[in-house]
Amino acid sequence: MATVLGTAAGTVGTSAAPPILDVRSLTTTIPTARGTLTVVDDVSFAVAQGECFGLVGESGSGKSMTLRSILGLIPPPGRVASGEVRHAGRDLVRLSQRELNRIRGREIAMIVQDAVSALNPVYRIGRQIGEPMLEHRIVKGARSARARAVALMAKVGIPAPEKRVDDFPHQFSGGMCQRVVIATALACDPGLLLADEPTTALDVTIQDQILKLLVALQRDLGLSLLLVTHDMGVVAQTCQRVAVMYAGQIVELVRTDALFRQPRHPYTAGLLNCVPRLDGPAVRLKPIPGAPPDLAAPPSGCRFHPRCPLATEACRSQRPELVEVAPGHFSRCIRHHEMPPDLWKRLDA
Amino acid sequence: MADAVLPPVKPVLAPPRRRVRWRQHTNMLVGGGILVAILLASIFADHLTPYGPLEQNLRNTLQPPSWAHPFGTDNFGRDIFTRVLHAAKLDLMICFLCVFFPWVLGTALGAVAGYFGGLVETIVMRIVDTFSAFPFLVMAIGIIAILGPGITSMYIALTLAGWSMYARIVRAEVLVVRQSEYVLAARALGYGHVRIMFGHILPNVITPTIIFAMTDIVLVILSTVSLSFLGLGVQPPTAEWGIILNEAKGFLLIAWWMVTLPGIVIVIVGLALSLFGDGVAQWLRERA
Amino acid sequence: MPEPLLQVTGLSKHFGGHRGLVARLGGVPAPRLVAVDDVSFSIARGEIFSLVGESGSGKTTLGRTILRLVEPTSGHIVFDGTDITTLRPAQLRKARRQIQMIFQDPVSSLNPRLTVRQMLGEVLRVHAVRPASQVQARIAELLALVGLPADSIDRTPKHFSGGQRQRIGIARALAVEPRFIVADEPVSAVDVSVQSQIMNLLLDLRERLGLTLLFIAHDLSVVRYLSDRVGVMYLGRIVEVGSRDQLFSAPRHPYTRALLSAAPRPDPNHRATIAAITGEPPSPLNPPSGCHFHTRCPLATDLCRSVAPLPELVAPGHEVRCHHHDHAAVTA
Repeated sequence: MATVLGTAAGTVGTSAAPPILDVRSLTTTIPTARGTLTVVDDVSFAVAQGECFGLVGESGSGKSMTLRSILGLIPPPGRVASGEVRHAGRDLVRLSQRELNRIRGREIAMIVQDAVSALNPVYRIGRQIGEPMLEHRIVKGARSARARAVALMAKVGIPAPEKRVDDFPHQFSGGMCQRVVIATALACDPGLLLADEPTTALDVTIQDQILKLLVALQRDLGLSLLLVTHDMGVVAQTCQRVAVMYAGQIVELVRTDALFRQPRHPYTAGLLNCVPRLDGPAVRLKPIPGAPPDLAAPPSGCRFHPRCPLATEACRSQRPELVEVAPGHFSRCIRHHEMPPDLWKRLDA
Repeated sequence: MADAVLPPVKPVLAPPRRRVRWRQHTNMLVGGGILVAILLASIFADHLTPYGPLEQNLRNTLQPPSWAHPFGTDNFGRDIFTRVLHAAKLDLMICFLCVFFPWVLGTALGAVAGYFGGLVETIVMRIVDTFSAFPFLVMAIGIIAILGPGITSMYIALTLAGWSMYARIVRAEVLVVRQSEYVLAARALGYGHVRIMFGHILPNVITPTIIFAMTDIVLVILSTVSLSFLGLGVQPPTAEWGIILNEAKGFLLIAWWMVTLPGIVIVIVGLALSLFGDGVAQWLRERA
Repeated sequence: MPEPLLQVTGLSKHFGGHRGLVARLGGVPAPRLVAVDDVSFSIARGEIFSLVGESGSGKTTLGRTILRLVEPTSGHIVFDGTDITTLRPAQLRKARRQIQMIFQDPVSSLNPRLTVRQMLGEVLRVHAVRPASQVQARIAELLALVGLPADSIDRTPKHFSGGQRQRIGIARALAVEPRFIVADEPVSAVDVSVQSQIMNLLLDLRERLGLTLLFIAHDLSVVRYLSDRVGVMYLGRIVEVGSRDQLFSAPRHPYTRALLSAAPRPDPNHRATIAAITGEPPSPLNPPSGCHFHTRCPLATDLCRSVAPLPELVAPGHEVRCHHHDHAAVTA
């Protein structure tokens, strides 16, 4: 079952080429004083070549942890307990830290939310962009690294790159720092970019610029992008396919347009329904009651059942599986076929 | 209508039952255990040994350790074990008070300096700088030299020599907490300065000072003993560790036990305080 | 037109300058930051007025100035007929019973050591809102009002989720029975699914208690959902103010239009109708001459570079600070 998600057969509208990243039944646990938390719970998805794939969820849904698990960046004592992360014929979960280091930055690069603190304040920008090229020996010598750094800065839209290459991070604004971080990520021509809330810390006009930059880079360089965000608006405008996460699990996985047209999981529907809109009539929002669960004591059965208007006895007792409810459309809800389109709107009747 | 909109929300977390994991707190337990044992022995010393701390027996002087006198006797025939036991409660009390007074003084002044800022802060912090410029023991001796030797002078001297670090720590913490939104919220609620400082800021800055006090206490017990050894603190013939050592130093070559055995006790107490202090500090940090 | 509850006139707040602490220590004149620059607006009774802008626009400083948590450099704030800029500390403390604040960060705005009972009880006692015998009953009433379960009364903030902490913050603000609340980004730190719970709570409270709100936010869709009227801030100035419908359906300032166009919309088929705004917001330490927005504005002319535009009434209740607001309307 789960493998269907992972292969190109499950990715609607893409070529038959193997996916660049194929995550299968990934499970990550973190032992804490209050018990072992399963922060990533049996997560499977695949990112097709040249695709922008979104992981969307609220805080604690496991979206960032999934991203970190892929590159083996879970801080101990947390660890990937089981599952596979297949990339270019290898399983990243089984690689040693040293072998992973040859992939990190070189084949798979990552950009983080807080770009300002991701840059080392004591080094010049040019050196920070050039460092991964020297580390991975894709250029010879500091001079060619610097030349390539200038070219990359131009590519990510930093004005006057040959002047600014010798500036320090504090001379850059937040949006420019995020461009520098993106340039650093692109330094070794990676095929896959993991972006963890890359625009959350930015102002709305700058967020718009950075998202457009990421989409343009994905198109022009043939990059694949795995984008983690909490913002449905960001997903709608950048991602081709999206997985919605809740309490460590993927609850819905589908093409973005289908997700917004007809969500097949009550959580997704509720989430879409409780975001205020900039257009259309201003109607009163119907919030999802309650709050996301505590992972130390997750609800039995379906993790969403305490907040779900459709929940039945079966939802409380059985753990639902992610099933294909339409071609390429997966939902972890046993009542997906009974879900009315106006599920949340009817609540106050 | 409103009920559908305002669903009653259950708190996500039940308050965790605090299980103290004793194995992680070996330091605190071992150190605390030794201290409690010594303190209890000192309080009930009259029942543990047949002698008094000042009881002389001139026919029985400079006896080496034996079953009757585990630590031997001194040049007046006093039982050294009895004297060391009786001294423990005095020394530990002095030590506790000489940490407590500077802690109170330093915390209060540091909090005032950090909270009000401006001229108040400048004045307090320059005084702090002046006091920290002298080495601890030199300053304590200097103050006793002015006030004259004695136990009260020692309290004053150790308090004046020790408060400045507490003031520094508290001021730095207050500067951070003063900016926090809950202090801003308290101001927005129209609370007065006293309420904000004691009710909202101090409880949130006190932990680091206790952690520092736990390391300070070892320095203070050694200073207490040193000052009395130098004849500046507690005065003979009171049973006190510094005095016991002072009186014994003349007999170093003919009665080794007079210095060595009380010395070992002082080392053990110092070690126990250190272990206990580390343990408490670790526990506080985990809790924070 | 009825007398507004809050009337702000010519309000400015400058930070730093020659009197600043940095200058005193370093001996160099510190740069002067004009956080709020000659701002005027009024809020009617029972209204929700929103201030929207990006970081550095001065909206948070402006909100804090109204409670005098930050002292204004110049200008007047008249609340219900009283000029609160000139109140002495004792009178100010009384005035704070009328004006309360809800903070952005539900984690850091609650004292971590106090239980809900202690927190609310303290407010009630300090202001003697209720006789001592009724304090416990009032606490229970406040919890019910903000939708918290009664058994949460003896818990400290760490036992609550983000949304619940924000409810505690709201209960604390309501404890003194204020008539006016400044809400500084109250929903930007809570989860998406909880955001609408808090927004609906604010709307219900306004209805039930007859509150007036100044709502500060950066998220336009949240502002549209909650507000009756909206002011858009850019580098310390209000560049456009109008009713919600005027602002969202017929924005006249190029910056308002750019903000609306840049906001990500949860709709895969949405296409932006106007070109995205380029460049970054300039530093508030060194704002551009003339109209602050001219460095990023597609309509900028020499006039904009040299002369700061004054507010102009373009429709009843709709004011714009732009030399080219007619042009902006045409290209819409």
